[in-house]
Amino acid sequence: MARFGFGALRAATRLTAAGRAVSLRVAVSQVRFTGLNAVGLVALLSGILSFLVISQATRELKGIGATEFIGTLIVVAIVRELGPLLTALVVVGRSGTAIAAELATNQVMGEVRALESMGIDPKQYLVLPRFIGSLVSVFALLVVFDLVAIMAGFAAARFNGLAGPRYFQIVLASLSNRDVWLTVFKALAFGSIVGVVPSYFGLTVRRASTEIPIAASRAVVAAIVGIFLCSALFVVLA
Amino acid sequence: MTTPHSPLPLVFDSIPIARNASVPFSLEVPERRTVAVLGDEDSGIGMLGGYALGLERPATGHALVFGTEVAGLAEPERLAFRRRVGYLPAGDGLLQNLSLRDNVALPLRFGSGAAPRDIEGRVTVMLTALRLTGAAQLRPAQANEEERRRAALARAIAFDPALLILEQPFDGLTARVASELLEIARGGESAEGARRTIFITGQEIPPLILRRVDQVYRLTRAGMLELETV
Repeated sequence: MARFGFGALRAATRLTAAGRAVSLRVAVSQVRFTGLNAVGLVALLSGILSFLVISQATRELKGIGATEFIGTLIVVAIVRELGPLLTALVVVGRSGTAIAAELATNQVMGEVRALESMGIDPKQYLVLPRFIGSLVSVFALLVVFDLVAIMAGFAAARFNGLAGPRYFQIVLASLSNRDVWLTVFKALAFGSIVGVVPSYFGLTVRRASTEIPIAASRAVVAAIVGIFLCSALFVVLA
Repeated sequence: MTTPHSPLPLVFDSIPIARNASVPFSLEVPERRTVAVLGDEDSGIGMLGGYALGLERPATGHALVFGTEVAGLAEPERLAFRRRVGYLPAGDGLLQNLSLRDNVALPLRFGSGAAPRDIEGRVTVMLTALRLTGAAQLRPAQANEEERRRAALARAIAFDPALLILEQPFDGLTARVASELLEIARGGESAEGARRTIFITGQEIPPLILRRVDQVYRLTRAGMLELETV
């Protein structure tokens, strides 16, 4: 699968100018579906999660006079760990299945074979734009998730009697450059998984339409497992 | 693998294509000739185009295009080589999420390296030649069978190939339309014959078309190739 992903990246180097324009157009439409259309869902999940966690935490921590740990909670639990994980899971659920099913349908309809017969590398036209689209989308959605989480945390803290400036002071004090870079790397890693794994499973389908839902299901399972393993690897390495 | 002694546009050498065939399939398609191989659906003729283009690899034997076994080339070379051959697959193989115009333009955009304006100009010329101007913005699902076949042929000849492989190209078309498409596929005439070499596979060919085909072979269930009198 890694070879498949690198193959897609290598295919990018062989694109003609007109081919690049076509791939870019497909990637933009992928970003629209995977990223833009998922902003509402990601914001909603992020807002609710953050509000619930910070509300509970503020109440408990205020009792023992340890409200400064809210910052650690927001940064470590939500921004660094849950944010990338939940964002990637939302994108896999929404778009991973769609990518796998779409490419599997392309395969069953003979469109992939037709592309190859015309001398077009399916990785250039089908995989690369989805890979780039997923990468950009997961990164952008992660930024949305984190911003909404911090703002919802602010609302929760205010709701539970913590002053606004104090909340931002605690959060900013807990946030380090390392957290920002970790989030960026996670976005890139999870975005790659979301783009490559469903594409791989979609294109492994042969000729029967009954294989399409199987491919979609396998793709989502494999991508979820990959995301969790990758997340664990980040914890071990970072 | 390149064979310098085999300048023929298309050669099938001892390829087993049918399960119950007693002899492997062998055929040489001469330059500038239109050759058709007809047979039942289970005769295996539907695999010949894939073997020629290296989309599939035969268990034994060789399929040579201009002396080259396409399946034996490295991937980038294989993709580049296929642009020398026009291919109209059975069921047209058009991309459903693109308009007919974009379907025709796609191979040129990815494979020609020409400027976008030149590509669009060539696509317009081809759409006009195939009488597709009115249907150019339709998606394949919105177009009728004749329009889809015209678009698939326009796409197959996008690079003006010397060899054209057509799978069941006339199924569902009237004899008049089939005849018109064959003339476009041949690309004009010269003293030596048609400008392009054409290899057609299918189950049947309209009688009107048979007159324009130089050689018609019928593949029996036993895998024997019989030359039919046109």
